[in-house]
Amino acid sequence: MRVHDFVMPVGPQSPAIKEPILLKVCLEGEEVQKVRMVTGYTHRGIEYLLEGKNPDQALYVASRVCGICSITHERAYVRTVENILGYDAPERVKAIRTVLFELERMQSHLLWAGFMMHEIGLETLFNYFWREREKVLDCFEKITGGRVHHNINKIRTLRYDMEEEDPEFILQQVRSVARKTRDYYNDCMKEEVVVSRLKNVGTIPKSMALEWGLTGPIARASGVRIDTRKIDPYDWYSRIDFEMAAGKRGDALERLKVRLTEVMESARIVERVLSGLPDEKIPPHSLSRVEGEGHARVEAPRGELFYYLRFKNNRVERAKIRTPSFSYMKILEELLPGMVVGDVPVIVASLDPCFSCLERVLVEKNGRVEELREKEFRRKYSCPG
Amino acid sequence: MTFKKSPWVFVFHGAGCNGCNLEVLAVATPRYDVERLGIVIKHSPRNADILVVEGMVNKKNADRIRTVYDQMASPKVVVAVGACAVSGGPFAESYNHAGPLDRIIPVDVYVPGCPPRPEAVIDGILKGVEVLERASKG
Ligand code: SF4
Repeated sequence: MRVHDFVMPVGPQSPAIKEPILLKVCLEGEEVQKVRMVTGYTHRGIEYLLEGKNPDQALYVASRVCGICSITHERAYVRTVENILGYDAPERVKAIRTVLFELERMQSHLLWAGFMMHEIGLETLFNYFWREREKVLDCFEKITGGRVHHNINKIRTLRYDMEEEDPEFILQQVRSVARKTRDYYNDCMKEEVVVSRLKNVGTIPKSMALEWGLTGPIARASGVRIDTRKIDPYDWYSRIDFEMAAGKRGDALERLKVRLTEVMESARIVERVLSGLPDEKIPPHSLSRVEGEGHARVEAPRGELFYYLRFKNNRVERAKIRTPSFSYMKILEELLPGMVVGDVPVIVASLDPCFSCLERVLVEKNGRVEELREKEFRRKYSCPG
Repeated sequence: MTFKKSPWVFVFHGAGCNGCNLEVLAVATPRYDVERLGIVIKHSPRNADILVVEGMVNKKNADRIRTVYDQMASPKVVVAVGACAVSGGPFAESYNHAGPLDRIIPVDVYVPGCPPRPEAVIDGILKGVEVLERASKG
């Protein structure tokens, strides 16, 4: 580092970044030269906490990995255990799980869109997006009783069934959200401020997305056609037909487009599933005995979420969770150099990394913390994935 | 109830799951809108009256919480939001748990829940305002 370089810390408690992370940004004038990332502020030791719990207890810990995608973590956990048991849930359970899953995606993307607008200074749109998000949370409250953590998935079944009047209410809310989202989408694309702040900012070309193993809306915005719901369908995703949102340029504007399109597509999925909701009883809940190991993946709002679990004597012996944000952790250090400092929060926000989710890998050896790319990590610690 | 002044709030994000973070932010959005009560969420601890802490205290952020608390001018009030801040919540047994929060800084108001509803968060902040007014009276 040269003498006149100026190192600006962004975070860990910064108004520009919503979650605790520290970016040490080396500047020369306005231009970012180098970025160093310091994590660990939200490390809670989830995998350790999972160990030693029985399969039903561990479910509650798994949902606490992340508050934005609590259902997703529950679902991934339950899918893993059901894979080990070789169990196929009844159709109604699958249908309700699909509805919950898509509602989760809607609220997560709306929340993100709100943050994105906040970062570029459009407070009104931030409030609009969050107002729509409350409607989705109302649906959640109706079905599960919770706004953030739901604890509705159980191994083999659900905790509660949907009431008779619920589908009507959900349809109404979801349609209204989709309509408003379309309006905001059109407004955003016409709005000079949004386009000029987001276009050609934080561009990830397709080759880079592939190299870094990105998944989810970011990869789709760069033109990679990948979606776990398509390539490894679960629940009702193989039965209903839906479009995969796709972009090309891979910049922040494209990511906004892809995510808002997905909100509208999720609304359509919910409508389709609810119109064919089978009328049957869901099985009662009972405690499970699980032995052996298994893995599963689901499409979280941010990409592919992978769970590996090994059970011994009906206790979790080893758990490994790989969240989608894990692959964007280091890409920031490559994306930021060369950009002006004002774009740093925009780029960070446009990736939508979830630090609560990702802070799990910390390899300490002889007092030295190693940071590893995924490939190196897999090779070195021979972890499945 | 009338306030002597508009309380400014600084939110510290601890090592939580984001759930409480969302519910605290939701109080500033149209449905709950705390600004109608004169409460403003600020981004600097130096001009805040109330410190809202959500999430668990871990070994890495314990010092940060202390720094933020020290940067605030007296009288100041601390509101612990969520099971994580109150007791460690679901992560209490973790090797990285360095709390609960009241072991690090003095806490005036506890808002339990995992996560507490936005109404409960607002109620917690208003309880904090009462403490603040009592403190400024002497
Ligand atoms: S109290 Fe619950 S919702 Fe809040 S941060 Fe902790 S785990 Fe998340």
